[in-house]
Amino acid sequence: MKQILIIDDDVDFLEITSLFLKNKDFHIETAASPEQGFRKIQENTPDLVVLDVMMPSEFEGFELARDIREKLKLMDLPIIILSCIHDQKQVPYRFAPDKDYLPVDVFLDKPVNPDVLLEKVNSLLGEYREKPSQNL
Amino acid sequence: MKTYDVIVVGGSAAGLTAAQTVRRHYPPKNILVIRKEDRVLIPCGIPYIFGSLEGPHEDLIPDMVYEKMNIGLHISQVESIDRKNKVVKTESEEFAYDKLILGTGSYPAMPPIPGHDKKGVYAVLKDVQYLADIQEKLKTVKNVVVIGGGFIGIEISDEIKKSGVENVSVVEIEKHCLSQSYDEEFCIEMEEKLQSRGINIFTGSKVVSIDGEKQVESVTLADGKTIDADMVILGIGAVANADLAKNAGLRIGLTGGIVVDRAMRTSDPDIFACGDCAEKVSFFGGKSSALRLASIATLEARVAGANVFGITRETPGTIGVWGTAVGSLALGTAGLTEKMAKDHGYNVISAVNESVNRHPGKLAGAAKIKIKLVFEVNSGVLLGGQVRGDASAGETMNAISACVQNRMTAEQIAMFQSGTHPLITASPIAYGIVNAAEAAIGKMMKAKEQV
Repeated sequence: MKQILIIDDDVDFLEITSLFLKNKDFHIETAASPEQGFRKIQENTPDLVVLDVMMPSEFEGFELARDIREKLKLMDLPIIILSCIHDQKQVPYRFAPDKDYLPVDVFLDKPVNPDVLLEKVNSLLGEYREKPSQNL
Repeated sequence: MKTYDVIVVGGSAAGLTAAQTVRRHYPPKNILVIRKEDRVLIPCGIPYIFGSLEGPHEDLIPDMVYEKMNIGLHISQVESIDRKNKVVKTESEEFAYDKLILGTGSYPAMPPIPGHDKKGVYAVLKDVQYLADIQEKLKTVKNVVVIGGGFIGIEISDEIKKSGVENVSVVEIEKHCLSQSYDEEFCIEMEEKLQSRGINIFTGSKVVSIDGEKQVESVTLADGKTIDADMVILGIGAVANADLAKNAGLRIGLTGGIVVDRAMRTSDPDIFACGDCAEKVSFFGGKSSALRLASIATLEARVAGANVFGITRETPGTIGVWGTAVGSLALGTAGLTEKMAKDHGYNVISAVNESVNRHPGKLAGAAKIKIKLVFEVNSGVLLGGQVRGDASAGETMNAISACVQNRMTAEQIAMFQSGTHPLITASPIAYGIVNAAEAAIGKMMKAKEQV
């Protein structure tokens, strides 16, 4: 059974998402802070990480994504970022996966349709993992 | 409620080309383009607003084509798509469609750098007023930092310098500017050109923070260096604007674009998507590609527009053809660089030819042209090519693209029938693409002898 770690400080979201993914036959671990998430990944690396980026500031989530790659050297661990940052900040630009600045696989804006999240999880955990390329 | 055979959402490169293509392929159909912009910018012309042109008003797509081609135009923000009833809802009206084409474009991408929302930090937004504001502000600043050394970054930097700003710096995270599409030797020539025009280049440098109180004052790099900045401009790329499609329940891909097949159909059979808002596949192997260019958008629009009432075309995938120019130096690329080809797993041989684009070379307007072609060694198929020269490099780049798209071999390119003339081309004896192919054949023969 594939293991997913969900990191978010919103307890309700953790509970609902955990239940949804458990029902789809995934083993779920949760963490309520970036520090706890980092420790859990270090101790028992999951197959995929779902990460919220507003906890408690937007940069802690982004930094955790970078730390997973740079400090833990887990270059292939799939990471999905969930965020309401675009809605809250009302900026005319978008944060997006970038191999240097934001090394994650998928960036999803909240609220996320659970079926969409499941589709992304499955495509990242499948035998032929889809990896978006940077260029060609 | 008005009903249209085809409604196109978006009026930039993708949307307008899609509407024109529908008109050409299905003359009796009634077509409506809905766009939110009163005036639409020519996307690739945006850098030139800051130096060569007087302002955004000189970089607009003319609207007379709508009348000329009998295409309806409605200016309003589309708020939602009712797929069940096949209705598009705008701020002011509702329209029914039989077929819908989405060309909703992209957002500028922003790296998550602390300080990204300070005053004086700008993205390259395709918005007339926003760009006019940047142009106005440029008159008052002394130090500008451009993050990203791709083509947008270097072209904007050069134009800003041209406008009279004292210090202009480009910060690029890769080892060289343009390195995502050019091999090192071409990148170095461009960097030297930029430096000779007074632009500071920081390569292999990551911006870790944008600093200042409310207004940006400097940027800090990963090595601790700081660069003074009254203005920061982001030029690191674009991400799909698929908001409308997402809210309508269409399938969205891993890079955030609308999922389409090679016929540009979305997950709804009556809705097509093209341009920056759609997911892309590479011409080389068919994996997902994040490259977004107006030339790719128009190709996809010609596929989508032709296919709305029956599939007749498929996109071959993104080759990645684009050029850039600073002063008298022009670069063009089509397909994979040598480095990219190796990263893709190809066994490659490359060859370079340098020639003059007039014959004899003493004629006025002569310029040195360097062409590098990259071939797969066993099949001899061309994977890509790069060119450096004067403005004529643009059409050489497109000739290389034609060879790549048709998967021509070195042998076929060596027998390419070119037309030549002393005042407009290289000599038939020293024709660059042909001689580069011949040089590659020589290398391939040598490689086989060694086996």
